[in-house]
Amino acid sequence: MDSERKGGRGANQLRPVDCSRNVLSRAHGSASCSHGETRVLAAVYGPKAGTKKNENPEKACIEITWKPKTGQIGKPEKEFEMILKRTLENICLLTVHPNTTTSIIVQVVHDDGSLLPCAIHAACAALLDAGIPLKYLAVAICCCLTESGNILLDPSKLEEQKMKAFVCLVFPSSIHSVLPEGSISIGGESKGDGIITSLTHGVMRVEDYFQCVEQGRAAITPLSNILKKKLQSQSASNLSKAG
Amino acid sequence: MAGKSGSTPATYSPSLSGQKKKRPPVLADSNWVRPDGRTLHQCRPAFLRTGAVNSASGSAYAEFGNTKVIVSVFGPRESKKAMMYSNSGRLNCNVSYATFATHVRGQMPETKDISSMLHKALEGAIILKSFPKTTVDVFALVLESGGSDLPVITTCASLALADAGIMLYDMVTSVSVSCLGKNLLIDPLSEEESYQDGSLMITCMPSRNEVTQMTVTGEWSTPKINEAMQLCIDACSKLGKIMRSCLKEAASITQD
Amino acid sequence: MAVTSGPNDLSSEMEVDAFRRLFPLRFHERHLLESLRPDGRPLGRARDTTLMLGAVASANGSAMAKIGSTTMLAAIKMEVMTPTAEAPDEGCIAIEFHMPPICSPLVRPGRPAEVAPVISKQLSDTILSSGMIDLKELCLVGGKAAWMAYLDIYCLDADGALFDAALLSAVAAFSHLQIPVVSLNDDGRIVIISEDNNGGAMKEKEPVNKEKIKLKLKSVPFSLTCVLHKKYILADPTSEEESIMETFLTVVLDSSFQLVSLNKPGGPGLTNSSAIQDCVTLTRQRVKELQKILNEAISDMEVD
Repeated sequence: MDSERKGGRGANQLRPVDCSRNVLSRAHGSASCSHGETRVLAAVYGPKAGTKKNENPEKACIEITWKPKTGQIGKPEKEFEMILKRTLENICLLTVHPNTTTSIIVQVVHDDGSLLPCAIHAACAALLDAGIPLKYLAVAICCCLTESGNILLDPSKLEEQKMKAFVCLVFPSSIHSVLPEGSISIGGESKGDGIITSLTHGVMRVEDYFQCVEQGRAAITPLSNILKKKLQSQSASNLSKAG
Repeated sequence: MAGKSGSTPATYSPSLSGQKKKRPPVLADSNWVRPDGRTLHQCRPAFLRTGAVNSASGSAYAEFGNTKVIVSVFGPRESKKAMMYSNSGRLNCNVSYATFATHVRGQMPETKDISSMLHKALEGAIILKSFPKTTVDVFALVLESGGSDLPVITTCASLALADAGIMLYDMVTSVSVSCLGKNLLIDPLSEEESYQDGSLMITCMPSRNEVTQMTVTGEWSTPKINEAMQLCIDACSKLGKIMRSCLKEAASITQD
Repeated sequence: MAVTSGPNDLSSEMEVDAFRRLFPLRFHERHLLESLRPDGRPLGRARDTTLMLGAVASANGSAMAKIGSTTMLAAIKMEVMTPTAEAPDEGCIAIEFHMPPICSPLVRPGRPAEVAPVISKQLSDTILSSGMIDLKELCLVGGKAAWMAYLDIYCLDADGALFDAALLSAVAAFSHLQIPVVSLNDDGRIVIISEDNNGGAMKEKEPVNKEKIKLKLKSVPFSLTCVLHKKYILADPTSEEESIMETFLTVVLDSSFQLVSLNKPGGPGLTNSSAIQDCVTLTRQRVKELQKILNEAISDMEVD
């Protein structure tokens, strides 16, 4: 068993998470988020009038620009943009501002593994900072599967490369809502165990995948509490608890 | 995220060992056999079918020997925002080649020229007044390029326009002829095109007996041009009949 | 279709086509209540699937896949490259997915479809991580020459489940792939050995890849996309269904039912584990179907 991780982390132990809002002065909302060495900056502009062609004008439209740390924008960046767009479409109340476009610019500052979760947290916090109405926060986690079948959470870049497979999951944060009961549950789905986004890479057994979902879900509640605490401590007194 | 992508290294297509193909000796007699076994004045077998793409308003697939083309027609639909108001409709043509269309990957001809040639060939045959303020888009994809590409694209596009129910004065058919020494080769292959002395292409509306486009390149004598034109026009009217029967067939199937 | 109309429902007063356009979601939900879809399929059934190998004569391997009216044409061209220093005995596969303007009214020339690069990336992730092809088999001369397989997939008609059709055509193109017999000439370049023996004019070199004409494919991946809407799971959606119900889930399993990819890129709905489990079950059945279709296409090819 190579449960030895760099820095003496346990298999289920996450790297220190930091998240701060309102880091840019010109943007309508901004946030910076870090998971260990991985760091992402997000800025929100909007809502601006009008939607792009081929988008539904009866809803708000979300537009993502993913800026890599170095190099040109290629296919991986386009894929991140699509995943982020569709994930944020899940958490935003799109019918509040129909026929508008909200642009989110995501700048990768440093990639040391678990990049997508970090970007999702940064984008969420930036949306919150801009006062865009959200249903809940999206909380994301990366799980890695080792050759021996162990699961490691929140892998670093080095660990990602050594792994047999990995799974990236996004869950809604645990909800203590001021909204009336039932307005959050969509189509009668139980909101407790819903998954917003799931991505996998590498071959694994189906059971391993569900094992990852379980372990990931277990880590979500503490992670979402940390994120909320970080965001609330900086929030201006007049901002409601949007989480 | 993981995986070893990165810059793609330089590659080359392995060539055939042995000597390069040379231009065949130009023979005087006219029953000289061509690489695919045709006689000089024989066209390749044509396969035409409408309705190849369901999501388009009209579409057609054409296969002339190894030349394979798909054309989709969209519209009439809203013109681009930047376009001025216009009493007559607009035609927009675009031709692209699949990366595997040519023998060596990615070695494609200039598609901008072909697109504008296609536009000019079709423009005269479409009753543009019948769809004011709107645009009809004609998009072609060459799946395999086996010679006489533009004539095949034009013919296929006209069939797709008819399939989409766009009003036409007549079907547009197109045939080209290569001049090789003293011989005229109708419907040339790309191999034959590569060593031709001159080429002549006629696009016409066979039932109206009108020519919408004609190009002549290379070295020609006047009697040769006349002979080539007659060859093309004869072939065009035959092709027109095939297209008509193809459309009738498709219509009879939908009626049932 | 007989429908029980409630109060304030226009469906009894207007034509079916008009209702479908004006209230697409309600139109589809009505069908779902009857466990049927507008094209007459039950919820869990995929559309008719056909596969044709060797569609492109100018390529080394090619296949055309049709799922319903979604049509994909995949072709592989083999070129020679110098392998990288890190992997001197491995070839390379470059996968590109194209959506030319002919395939859909939403794609215009000069403005490529946004999904094309995303599907391209997902295809190469899936094919390379599935371990279907051993890159070592693409090696010609260790450290000097290896094959670069350019796989280009063209969408000829886009009507939903693009990834599924693209993956099927890609897998079929690899099983049709016939690698040319080549040798190394004196200049260190790879040349094709002509099939017909044109005398002894040129002294032919020994071929370097006599035993590697066909690739050995192990654990072939197949996929199924499902649309999730409320409690319903619709397998193999059409583009209309995709545009109305916006939550999709794509499961890729290999022939031994190992999970290669499970992709749910957000979307308005949440998905619980049991729905995912149901999708995996549907995909298992679909993998068996597709495996059969592929085997039949290959055996048809061998008869010809």
